[in-house]
This record gives sequence, C-alpha cells and structure tokens, in this order.
Amino acid sequence: MTSQNPTETSGKTQWDNLILPSTPNLHKVETYISHGGYEAFKKALEMKPEEVTDEVKKSNLRGRGGACFPTGLKWTFMPKQTTKAKYLCVNGDESEPGTFKDRQIFEFNPHLLIEGTLIACYAMGIPTAYIYIRGEYAKWIKMMELALADAYGKGFVGEKILGKEFSCNIYIHKGAGAYICGEESALMNSIEGERGYPRVKPPFPAQYGLWGCPTTINNVETISNVPIIIKNGWEWYSKIGAPKHPGPILVGVSGHVNKPGVYEMPTGIPILEIIHRWAGGVPGDKGIKAVIPGGSSTMVLRGDQLEGVKMDADSMKAAGSAVGTAGLIVMDEDTDLIKVLTRLAKFYYHESCGQCTPCREGTGWLWKVLKRFEKHEARMQDIDLLMDIANNIEGNTICALGDAAAWPIQAMIRRFRDEFEKRVVHAQAGTPESVAV
Amino acid sequence: MAKITIDGIAYEVDPKLTVIQAARDHGIKIPHFCWHPKLSVAGNCRMCLVEIEKMPKLAIACATQVAEGMVVKTQSERVQKARNAVMEFLLINHPLDCPICDEAGECKLQDYTYKYSIGYSRFNEDKVHKPKRIQLGPNVMLDVERCIMCSRCVRFADEIAKQPVLTFTQRGDHVVLTTFPGTQLDNPYSMNVIELCPVGALTGTDFRFKARVWEMSSTESTCTGCARGCNINIWVRNNEILRLTPRQNEEVNSAWMCDFGRLQTFKDVNSEKRLSGPLMRKEGILSSVGWDEAIAAAASELRLFKKSEIAGLGSAYASNEDNYAFQKFMKDVLGTKNVDFVRHLKEGDEDAFLLRADKTANTRGAEEVGVKPGEGGSNIDAIIQGIKNGSIKALYALEDDIAAIPEIAGVLSNLELLIVHSSIQNETTAAADIVFSSSTYAEKHGTLTNFQGRVQRIRPAVVTLEQDRALDGFAMSRWDKFASHNDRWGRPIKKDARPSWRIVSAVASAVGGKMKFNSADDVFREISEKVQAFKGLNYQKIGNTGVMSKTASRAVPVV
Repeated sequence: MTSQNPTETSGKTQWDNLILPSTPNLHKVETYISHGGYEAFKKALEMKPEEVTDEVKKSNLRGRGGACFPTGLKWTFMPKQTTKAKYLCVNGDESEPGTFKDRQIFEFNPHLLIEGTLIACYAMGIPTAYIYIRGEYAKWIKMMELALADAYGKGFVGEKILGKEFSCNIYIHKGAGAYICGEESALMNSIEGERGYPRVKPPFPAQYGLWGCPTTINNVETISNVPIIIKNGWEWYSKIGAPKHPGPILVGVSGHVNKPGVYEMPTGIPILEIIHRWAGGVPGDKGIKAVIPGGSSTMVLRGDQLEGVKMDADSMKAAGSAVGTAGLIVMDEDTDLIKVLTRLAKFYYHESCGQCTPCREGTGWLWKVLKRFEKHEARMQDIDLLMDIANNIEGNTICALGDAAAWPIQAMIRRFRDEFEKRVVHAQAGTPESVAV
Repeated sequence: MAKITIDGIAYEVDPKLTVIQAARDHGIKIPHFCWHPKLSVAGNCRMCLVEIEKMPKLAIACATQVAEGMVVKTQSERVQKARNAVMEFLLINHPLDCPICDEAGECKLQDYTYKYSIGYSRFNEDKVHKPKRIQLGPNVMLDVERCIMCSRCVRFADEIAKQPVLTFTQRGDHVVLTTFPGTQLDNPYSMNVIELCPVGALTGTDFRFKARVWEMSSTESTCTGCARGCNINIWVRNNEILRLTPRQNEEVNSAWMCDFGRLQTFKDVNSEKRLSGPLMRKEGILSSVGWDEAIAAAASELRLFKKSEIAGLGSAYASNEDNYAFQKFMKDVLGTKNVDFVRHLKEGDEDAFLLRADKTANTRGAEEVGVKPGEGGSNIDAIIQGIKNGSIKALYALEDDIAAIPEIAGVLSNLELLIVHSSIQNETTAAADIVFSSSTYAEKHGTLTNFQGRVQRIRPAVVTLEQDRALDGFAMSRWDKFASHNDRWGRPIKKDARPSWRIVSAVASAVGGKMKFNSADDVFREISEKVQAFKGLNYQKIGNTGVMSKTASRAVPVV
C-alpha cells in the first residue's frame, strides 16, 4: 500500500498532503531539508518552550492514537520543576487490526516524526525520547534507524543542538510482538525491560512514568502533526477539517474496497466519501453491510447507518462509535459478521496480557462462545451471555484492552442481533439451561 | 485527617491511606485476592472494586487513595454485580477439585464463592489446562491450573524474601507462574508463599495431602527455631503436629517465618525417638521405670553428694518456668552455686530479616530467671573443668543434648551421677543414669523470652498422658470434637512426658525442699514476684503477642 494523494475533497478545497506529501525521496534527510524540513524545529528553538506548548494547545490537535485527547493539554501535565529525568515516548506500536497508518510515516516521512519529537521534547524540556516501534515492523525500524542516524549526522539530534542549550537524544526501541505494549503504561514497562503489563493508574505517566520519572506518551501521527502546527501557526492549522478535532488525519482503508490504502484527509470527511470516492468503492458495486470506522476495537456501524457520518471525534461519537485510529474496515453485504467477530475476539484473547481477571478470563470465554456461533452450535441464551460477559469486562479492567475486546461484541449484538439469531441451533426443544456447578 | 463516607457512615481517616486500608481500619471488609497489607499494590484481581461518587467507573479500593469528602459504596448493586462478575471470571478456568485440594477450608476463592458468587456456572466451554505438580523449589509445589495470577508470591519473592525468581510467562488465560530459567524458589522464607497464596496453587511439599484443614486443631504458640521467637500456629490432627504456620506479630516476625522453623522445629515432637516415661540405669542398661521410682532415685542419689560436687545445667531450649524451677531447685534446695547453661550460637548463620545466630528460643529468659552461677560458683567452662578434674561429680542437665558438644562429651564419663531431662533419645540420654521424659514446647504452657526481651507464650497443642484435650482446654479440631471411639482419629498416641518444672519440683520435694508448683502459671507468678525483669507480668498480659520484659532495651530492632 502506498500513500494516496487525493487532489480534491468534499468537492470544495484543494487538499495537499501535509503528513505524507507526494515528494519523492522525502525520507532522505537532504530532500527533507530542501523541502523546508527542520525549519519548524529551528523556529521552535527561537520560541520559549511554553510558547510552543501553547501553540499546540491552541491548535486543538487531538491525539491520533485512538483516544483523541487534546495533545497540548497533555503536555501541560508534565511538571516544570522536577529533579527527576523526563521522558517522551512516541508510540509506534500500532497493532490494532485495521490500523497501518504510522507505518507510512516511518517509510515516507520519517524526518517529520523526528522533527516533531524534537519540538515536543523542547516544549516539555525533555532530554530523552524513545520511539517505540512494533517488532514486526522490522523493515520500518531499519528505515527509522537510518533516518535517525542522518538526523544525528546533520546535528539536529544530540548534545547542544544547533549551538543552543537544548540537548535531546532519541532512541528507537523495538517491541517484541505484543499488542498490549501499545498501551502506554505497558509500553513504558516494555522499554524498562519488564513484562508488558499495563500499570494501575493513578499515578499517571506525567507524575510516575518511565523508570518512575515524568513521562509523556504521544502517538507517532500526533507527533508528526506538531511541525506542521509550528510551521504554519495554530490559527491556520485549527481551520483544517472539523473545528473541534482539526488537522489532517491518516485514514487506513481496508476490507471490501477497490483501492485499499492509507489516505490523508482533513478530519470531518464523510466516511462514505472516503469509501466511494477515494477508496474506489466496493468491489462488484455490492452494498455495504458494516463498517468498523476506527480500528477493530471501535464499535461497528451498520451499512445503512453511514449517511452523514464523518471522520471526526464528535460525529463518530454521535453515530455511536469512535474515530479511534481511523482504520476503516469495510465489509460488503456478503460478509459473515460472526466470522469477523470471532476472528476479532480471537485477536483480543490472544493479546490479553493476562494481568487482570476480567480481561484474562473474559476474552477467552467470549471467543469460545463465538466459536460455537460460528459452528451453528450456540443456544439462543448465548447471545445475552455474550453481551453479559462483554459488559462484565468493560470498565472493570486495568487498561483499555478489556474495553477494546468488549466493544466490538456489544456493538455487533446491538446492531446485528439477527446475524446471531441465525446461527443458533435450530428448533431445539428444551435447550439445557445453565449447568450448575 | 480526611473525612470520608463508607456505606453511609462518616469516618475520619489518614489521607495517606487507600480505601481498602481505611475501610479495614474501621472493620469494613472489602473482598480482595491480590492485595496484601505487607506487599505492594498490584490491582490485578479486581475483586475490591467499589463505587466512589463522582467517579464514572468502579474503582479498585486497593489502589485508590482516600480524599476529603470521598463517598464510597461497598455494597451497592453495581459493586455486587462487579464482584459476581469477577468471581465468575475467576472460576471459569479454575479446576473444580476442592475435594482434593489442600486449600479447601481456608481458601479465599472458596470462601468468596459462597459469599460473592451467583452460585452456578454459565460456562459451557472447555477449561484451560495448565501444568500441575511443578516443584518451584525444595519446599514449595505449584499447581498452575489453580493459580489465579494474583502475583502475591511474585511480590513476596521480590519484596520480602529478596529473591526475585518468580514471574509470569505466556498471556491471557494461558498465563503461567514459573521461575526464571536456572533458578528455583529456595530462599530461607520460601514457604511463606503458601499462606500468601489465596488458592491451592502453592502448597508445601511437606504438608501436601496430609490433612484437610478442619481435621486439625490450631494452637497459638511461639517458634523455637531461634532466638527470634516467631509467632506461630501449631496444627495438630490425631495428636500429631502436621504443620506450623506464621502468626502475625508486628513486633517480632511481621507475618512471616522461616522454612527452617516451620519444617524442623516440630519434628522432634513427632519423632520416633521420643521418650515415653522415665529411664534408669540398672545393671548398666537404661530401663523404663515409673515416675515415683525415678524421682525417689534422683533425690536419694543427689543426697549422696556435697553441694560443691553438684552442678546444674539449665537450658536455652527450655521455658522460663522450667529454668526458674530448675535454678531454684539447684540453688535453694540442693544449695549448689554451680549453675549455668550452654549457649548455641552459630555465628554467621543469621540474616538481616528474621534468622538469628542464636539457635535457641530462650537464652535471654534462662539468664533472666537466674540460670547463672551463684556467687563463687562455676560457670559452664568451670563446670566442664570441674567434671574433668573430679571436683564436680554429679550433673543435672535440662533439655539440651549436651553430649553432642565435644568438650562436654569428653568429660561425661568422669561423672558419678548424670540426671537428664529430655524429650527424645540422644547422646546425652545414652550417657545418663536417670532420664526424665520431659514435655516438648508443644505440650506445655510456658513462656520464652526472645532476643529482644519479649516474653511470649507457648501453649500445649499435643496432649501427653497426664492431659485430656477437652478437659484441659486444648484447641480442638472437628475430629477431636466429633470423632467416635472406633474412628482412627479417636485413638491418639499420648506420650508419657511431663514439663520440666513439674519434674524438678517433684525431685525437689523428694529431696526435702519446698517447691509447690501446681501449674506453669504458678511458676510464672513466682517469677513475676521474684525476678525484676518479669515484675508485674502475668499470662493474661502476655496474651497472644507477648510483652517486653522490664529489662528489655527498646533499641532492639524489629522487623
């Protein structure tokens, strides 16, 4: 998949990619510099750190890792006066099924990420940053390492950068194949060399993060937006896309579309437009049965529910789902949703770290019950059982993996109950009730 | 102080506490598996979820700090539903082997199942299977299927035992507790994980499958493995000690004890080498005799010697009562000043936690109650010298295998009379002329003074011939109470043994002295009147956790 460059959106404004421009060889540091690269960083170095944070705050940039948390606000949580070390972790562990956007940044615009990392570190007075990349991205880890070496070579990273007092070292950290390490506190444990277990919060990372020191964790795409904001100013940036959730967003489209891939769009773009106009529509012009809009943990939307739904936090929330990581999974009218859901449940079961009870035990149970639906061996009461298990996991776990496992099931039952009913063992008189212990 | 409300009642609590601690301080029990007051907070079991006003989600009471104005609900419908859910999750993959599980009867999961579970299972799938019978170390066995991944044992190994060898591997419901490659759980405190384990995942190699919990009686006592005097419970079935477990005492052992104390100290009580009834050397051979005969013989033999020819060795293994009665007999009745006892220090065999170099339970007590040379009398070295050169001809030794010490073994044959109190056959009894079978620490009332100067109780858990479990107020198990006469539990073996203070008093009376002690309590009453260190103390004041003797320095570090 390569990045696509739509030349018009919503029939209105001309859209030039900001994060993934079509400039050839942009991953090379010389090319990047000749196209205005690292200028934003230089500009930031002339500003006071709190002015940089303020700029990001006013831009209304919201995190692209799934929670849409205001980035500038997050940065202000970092203590200004502290005797401890401070860290920035850039989360590139993207492992959610349907999500493959950060990879494009690693491959096509790595220096934008490095520049963003430097600016963020400058704004928060952080001397050390880790870019955490999932281990399966071996190729992209190598690319990032090369880009980082070039940035060091040009003197953008290291001690007393560009003759200023500011020093910053960046390390690429490889994950070892666990989805859970994309959860920010598990990510920190992973960097520390501990088992990838999420931490109980509070304390929050800004107080007690990496090695117990104040730490901020931002998504790769979020950080990549920072140079764009600094370069163009918050006013300019905040006018892109949806006012309350502005900026460019990388939408990864997969599933039943003719042109799957990562598309850079302004937020607020209608998802039907993404599917039909940019991703080339559904093969065979089939109808859309369902869409998972933001990576596999976000709640599924019915195909007949998509009119007017836009790719921004508020619109998605109103539609009963979430932007998540904008990983759009399109399923045509012939899709076996039970099979889809069973596969997703298997993923969360496989990836549950096993630390806390509801997720450890519940994810496996969900998958086992769903397997019976898949094989037409389920009972009617198993639909409610599934819902109950999901409800019992949701909100009761240490981290959001439990929620991520529960939401697809809750939404699928709520919006496609008929699909489940069709899979129940037919005409069974006296289906056994629950088996007593 | 922070004002908080729990279940509608206002409390003032220390703002540093977590909700579970604050609630516990006020007698409100919030169910939990992974939380333990002595360990760091893990927050993984989710059993302590409570509702806190203004918080959208339920919060875990173990990791939530109290705050001014906080309103906590521990019994709301939401909370109960969450508990039901957590219990259901914990049980779906838990084996249904309570009938053969050692933990049954003292299992948190079992207890909570009755209290907080919906009472039936909605789980129609196959349970996950995991390794069973994993030897984690010499003393601890693991059944991973029963494990609920609370991580208490992992935290204990890391934080308390300082031997971080336990970890989890795998993920999800396939998580497995294990040791790191090339390591095993073999620290001196490894067996504490057995009680920490809220389920039957960790069991003791020694105790495994020996008994159901309700078949045993439990008696509060003190460990005699070293001078620490860890507080313990003695667990007895059919008059046999099956296990010892630590009992919490913040001043002494926190909630722990060492594996040595746990495994070795009761073996002598159950030993096949136990003596039952007194022995006397007749025509060169030790033969069983009655108490009256042995006591009369001891008295008449002792009368044959001059005061200065008699020496007495008390014992750091014996109780304060035994040692007091003994030194009184020696000094006041027989009139000898040659009184001392043998110290058993193993320098280097100690640590910064519980283990002490002094391997006896009552060195300090023996000294304090007066087991020391009278003015001009011989100490232990002089006594050995005296036996060697013939000036000391009769030795009366209490509850200590002195013949195992080379310097003493070499001179014992010089003696004309050796009277010994011992509970088991050993080298000393083999050399003795008269042997009195004495009760062990698990068969008598008494006190021990630990290295800190803390006077602590021992209590009888095993009955001897002269006692009756019911009539003498012993702790009783269900079997003790309800077994019928044709039950094999109903016919325990009782040893013919008596506490040393009683034997000594009898011998003293036979010699013609005045020692009328009818109970350990009597002896202690006299100690508390006569000995400065014990002034004003009594068994009631000592209670279950002991009190500092009057001479104790507060500077002695506690755990």
